[in-house]
Amino acid sequence: MTTPAISVRDLRRRYRRPRTSVREPGPVVEALKGVSFEVARGERFGIVGESGCGKSTLMRLLAGLDQPTSGEVQVEGRTVSGLPEKQLGFLRSSLQLVFQDPMGSLDPRMRVRDIVAEPLVAQRLPNRRARVAELLEAVGLGPEAGDRFPHQFSGGQRQRISIARALAPSPSILLADEPVSALDVSVRAQVLNLITDLVGDLGLTLVFVSHDLSVVRHVCERVAVMCDGEVVETGATQQIFADPQHPYTQRLLRAAPSMRRAIAGAGAADLVGDPS
Amino acid sequence: MSVLAAETRPKDASTSRVLDVQGLDVRLGRFHLLHDVTFSIDRGERVGLIGESGSGKSLTSLALLGLLPDDAHVSGSIRLAGVGHDLVGARERDLAAIRGRDVAMVFQEPMTALNPTMRVGDQVAEVITIHAGRGGRDKRAARARAVELLDQVGLPDPGDAARAYPHQLSGGQRQRVVVAIALANDPSLLVCDEPTTALDVTVQARVLDLIVRGVSARDAALLFITHDLSVVATVCERVLVMYGGRVVEAGPVTEVFRRPRHRYTQGLLAASDLDSAAAGGRLPTIRGTVPSAGTFPDGCVFRSRCDHATEVCATEPAWAGPDPGNGFACHHPAGAERAS
Repeated sequence: MTTPAISVRDLRRRYRRPRTSVREPGPVVEALKGVSFEVARGERFGIVGESGCGKSTLMRLLAGLDQPTSGEVQVEGRTVSGLPEKQLGFLRSSLQLVFQDPMGSLDPRMRVRDIVAEPLVAQRLPNRRARVAELLEAVGLGPEAGDRFPHQFSGGQRQRISIARALAPSPSILLADEPVSALDVSVRAQVLNLITDLVGDLGLTLVFVSHDLSVVRHVCERVAVMCDGEVVETGATQQIFADPQHPYTQRLLRAAPSMRRAIAGAGAADLVGDPS
Repeated sequence: MSVLAAETRPKDASTSRVLDVQGLDVRLGRFHLLHDVTFSIDRGERVGLIGESGSGKSLTSLALLGLLPDDAHVSGSIRLAGVGHDLVGARERDLAAIRGRDVAMVFQEPMTALNPTMRVGDQVAEVITIHAGRGGRDKRAARARAVELLDQVGLPDPGDAARAYPHQLSGGQRQRVVVAIALANDPSLLVCDEPTTALDVTVQARVLDLIVRGVSARDAALLFITHDLSVVATVCERVLVMYGGRVVEAGPVTEVFRRPRHRYTQGLLAASDLDSAAAGGRLPTIRGTVPSAGTFPDGCVFRSRCDHATEVCATEPAWAGPDPGNGFACHHPAGAERAS
């Protein structure tokens, strides 16, 4: 049990932007500047940050969808970074993803049954029909949902389909990249409940990426705050929200509108912090 | 405490009323999309319009700008201060004169609201010259004013920024340009439809501050549409809650959010209150999803998802409250047990 679910050491990723001149190569962007952290088994770990901070690059590296410039990613003690796709079979069955936009990540021409079964087909797992029915039930969709197409579902239901697909190969780790950002408030609560229930029931390790601090606070036990390609602060959720140390974390927390503060009389000017 | 919240408004409502919407009803094809929407906004007042997707928020805002599709059947009335005629049924030529001058709009997606082939300074100047009338079409003055406006909305190096194309600016900067365009002619009503939904939190904070400051500097009325309750609580003084094309509850923000009466408002607040729920615990939810247009139940629109619904909910609940800006329409309101 001592091996962490995910271990990231000094991870760096540089991209070269498209060239703008004939003579010079394109400028280099450092998306990740030496990120290190560990996620324990069964932990609910949050990654918070704004657009361009490197969240998505980090997710791609964790899922083995991209190679780091330097540094190492280990999932359940096995190195992921630097391996070709052919040797990543173990990762595909132990780590699965849920994306923000369910419509963009579900093939519109496939029936839900086939979408959910696809990871099972890819990994040559048996008893697909029974497993799909079981998964659809677990995410709160009826078995008849399997015969329909993604466009026949609402946003929240589509996200349930994505979750069912992610759980198909019985992974031990779930990476969720802004899974509720595109959803309405009442549906968001339903999907968050579903994720926390499944993570609890199946004993999953959850890595939850979001720009929404209140959602991360609700879901996660530990949080890493990212800014400009670096993790600027890591700690227990309660501690970070109660007593943020890094100036960026403080700014982020102040900028998030809160119902409680607003009713107590805080206005838009109070979100900005330093008066300009 | 915000200084802006402490402003006092004149008591005489008849002179300070900017927008008066009475019994607005919109039908499109066989769908009845807005039912008897009635509300008003006074000068300097900031009113929020909340509800989930498909509740009729955006349709209401489009109706205010006369931007509904041609085949929509609209009845009721929309009166705007300084405009002699009703906006409902007005000719396109009259509406075009009003848009951007008396009422302006900030949309959610700044990239689609801006013209990608035009420098942003020219886009701000355009809205000034279009409404300046025959005598006032001084291009150079309009351009200078555009730079001034870009400066007011906090773009760094406004002179340079005016020569930039939209794709050269960040999302937050683009939204600032859209706000500059909207405020260019000092409109009496600013309508913002989810203006910060696509932005990061720290950028959102600055754009919200900018909108509130811009509106109060002009003593304009603000209608702020969003699904984010905490944003409404931060920006607005009054709130209208929409569901199924109807205003189901209205009142001062502190009143409605502290003591919601309509069961939909109550459910919405509970589902979004992540601060109170135990970490990792279950959140209160509203069962089901928002029905699609035309499939809302008759009687109370919310009864298909309401845990308190009874037989009486099959009849339409009457508006309970002193006026359309203050009250709710629910047969089994929350907090009734205390009130008696």
